[in-house]
Amino acid sequence: MRIRQALYGLLATILAILLVRSGWIGAVGGRPQTEISFWNGFTGPDGRVMLELIRRFNRENPDLKVSMQRIAWATYYNKLMVAAVNGRGPHVFVIHASTLPRMHRAGFLEPADFLYGAGGVPEEDFEPLVLRTTEFNGARVGVPLDIHPQGLYCNADMLREAGIVDERGNPKPPATRDEFLRAAALMMHPRGSPSPDRYGFALTHWQNNYQSVFPQFGGRYLDENGDADLDNPGNVAALEFLGSLRTKLRLIPPPDNQLGWIGFRQRKVGMVFDGVYMLGDLKRLEGMRYVGAPMPVLGHKPGTMADSHILCLRKGLSERERDGVARFIRFLSENSLDWAEAGQVPARRSVRNTDRFRRMQVQHAFSRQIPYMVYPPRIVPLFEMGLEINLAVERVIRGRMNARESLRIADQNAQKAIDRDRAESRRPGGVR
Amino acid sequence: MSAPRLRGLLGWGYLMPYASLFGLFVLVPIGVAAYLAVMQFDLTSPGSAGFVGLRNFADAWNDEYVRRAFAVTAKFAAMMVPSLVVVAFSLAVGLNAMPRGRNLVRAMVFLPTMFTVAVTGILWQWFYNLEFGLFNFVLKNLGLAPVPWLSDKNIAMPSIVLMSLWWTSGGTAVILLAGLQNIPRMFHEAAALDGADGWRGFWSVTFPLLRPVVLFVIVTNLIGAFQFFPQAQLLTGGGPELATRGVVQYIYETAFNGYRLGYAAAMSWMLAAVVAVFGFLQFWLMRKEAS
Repeated sequence: MRIRQALYGLLATILAILLVRSGWIGAVGGRPQTEISFWNGFTGPDGRVMLELIRRFNRENPDLKVSMQRIAWATYYNKLMVAAVNGRGPHVFVIHASTLPRMHRAGFLEPADFLYGAGGVPEEDFEPLVLRTTEFNGARVGVPLDIHPQGLYCNADMLREAGIVDERGNPKPPATRDEFLRAAALMMHPRGSPSPDRYGFALTHWQNNYQSVFPQFGGRYLDENGDADLDNPGNVAALEFLGSLRTKLRLIPPPDNQLGWIGFRQRKVGMVFDGVYMLGDLKRLEGMRYVGAPMPVLGHKPGTMADSHILCLRKGLSERERDGVARFIRFLSENSLDWAEAGQVPARRSVRNTDRFRRMQVQHAFSRQIPYMVYPPRIVPLFEMGLEINLAVERVIRGRMNARESLRIADQNAQKAIDRDRAESRRPGGVR
Repeated sequence: MSAPRLRGLLGWGYLMPYASLFGLFVLVPIGVAAYLAVMQFDLTSPGSAGFVGLRNFADAWNDEYVRRAFAVTAKFAAMMVPSLVVVAFSLAVGLNAMPRGRNLVRAMVFLPTMFTVAVTGILWQWFYNLEFGLFNFVLKNLGLAPVPWLSDKNIAMPSIVLMSLWWTSGGTAVILLAGLQNIPRMFHEAAALDGADGWRGFWSVTFPLLRPVVLFVIVTNLIGAFQFFPQAQLLTGGGPELATRGVVQYIYETAFNGYRLGYAAAMSWMLAAVVAVFGFLQFWLMRKEAS
């Protein structure tokens, strides 16, 4: 008797497993539910916003089930690359615009032109500059979800304390070089006496800070031939300016003092340059009053560095999966105003032109830089070039080398990486 | 089937689970690494993969960053191994001399070795934090200036060595303690009768008898030091100004940030050659000791 019961139990279990695997259980209206995997690096507060969006999408689309995998950006691309080149990648995933060239060349990105136009996302709603980051040989490989430019964060209380306010008494972030230097000095010495533990301005991510400043001095990454041009006069002037903040003007903390963003959170630093995505971190701080603004014009024209999260899909999806992914991407794009709350600027113009977005002070202020923002160069050896820029900035901020010499070394090494990549990829000029 | 043959088959049976895992996770990767080292294999250019002979090795030989990474690794090894031997030896001698409570103290000394490097790294990140760190908190309370433990080019490496010492000296001390306890008491008694006690007894009896163990500790730790990576990755990321980026970190970055697997594999073989030299040195010295 017991044996018979055990056999029936076993049979029922096998049947249940077969039913689940067949997709009949969970089917909606006779149609099996399509599972879509979505990978990204939103491990901070932005991940919670994205999760909420996904739950909403799953509720509104019972025939689809999107499951999200969040992986820290530090290892995200390693895992994505290894999985995707072996054909085991997720259905849909996020790639930074700056990383697209190497991911595109790896060959696992599905052309995404079908996501635009009727029934998809309206292409005219995107900035041409942002759309261009997704184009390779005339085909698009993704849909931009957002834009995250670097900008200026100010401690509102410290600005007020230093008397830097407008006619209505509201804190007034500096917009020009003179205003910036004056604000940095006044916030450092609010009552005329120096405070050893307080700074008007501090560098955060040196490399990003520098790349946000050099477009203002007419600097660039590459010349017309696609060769490294890191030691051009504009780049040198920008780095000299940043270096002088420490070596001559003594306006920023010593390089070994890691105040930076932490100092800003601790109300010891009045102003920092950082990405709009850092807003999520500030929102968690109780009693912290801050204001966002475009980067002050420290050179002779406005400029800043930006990047974007691009929604991409992998090759080899079935028709049903492609349809599901297209609906999911359209949903995220249409609801990117909710995503903006996480500390992002929506990529779509119509979303930015809403009253709700205008009320997002920091995001809206940062979005005013869109007309003149600069994306990192579209080259495959960007990691190598980034490392060289970082080392060049470090040498100057630490006062170990002058800007010209430091950038000359960076330029030489970056060019070596570009030359090697050209030779190895057998594609003269790389991806432009 | 005869009994010896059956015993032989049984032996193979016992060996198979380990041997198959060893083959899968050690021998196969070694073979793949050997294959990759002579290939141009770049994940971002799958279409351009091809045999390049020894070009990856020649490029690595001429790569300034490889030389710098080897110099950083050698610096770590030069600072770490002598300090470890001195600290671990002192701990072992101290433990050996303890009349009571030795087991408790030994367990406490050994405890950090049981932590993973990730836990140790996160813990020491907070110890070294410039603003809220334990060390600078103590220094500030003593009226001293805070130390930029991880952001000063000259201090970062000693800071990493200090963390590594805390993490590994317990395990090494236990090995040395076992060696000390294996020295028969009669040698000490005979030496004492001849008037060789204290330092004289230590240098004339204890140390010579412990030499094989010390040698083992030096060589194994030297090999370990040449694989220096997670401590720097967790504490400094290789900075400031690459002052703590060792060979393994450079290999990791080349493979998983630059996706150049062939070049990274060639560098791995160069590092393996250096480690092998020390391995053979240990083997040779141990044989010499034994004979």
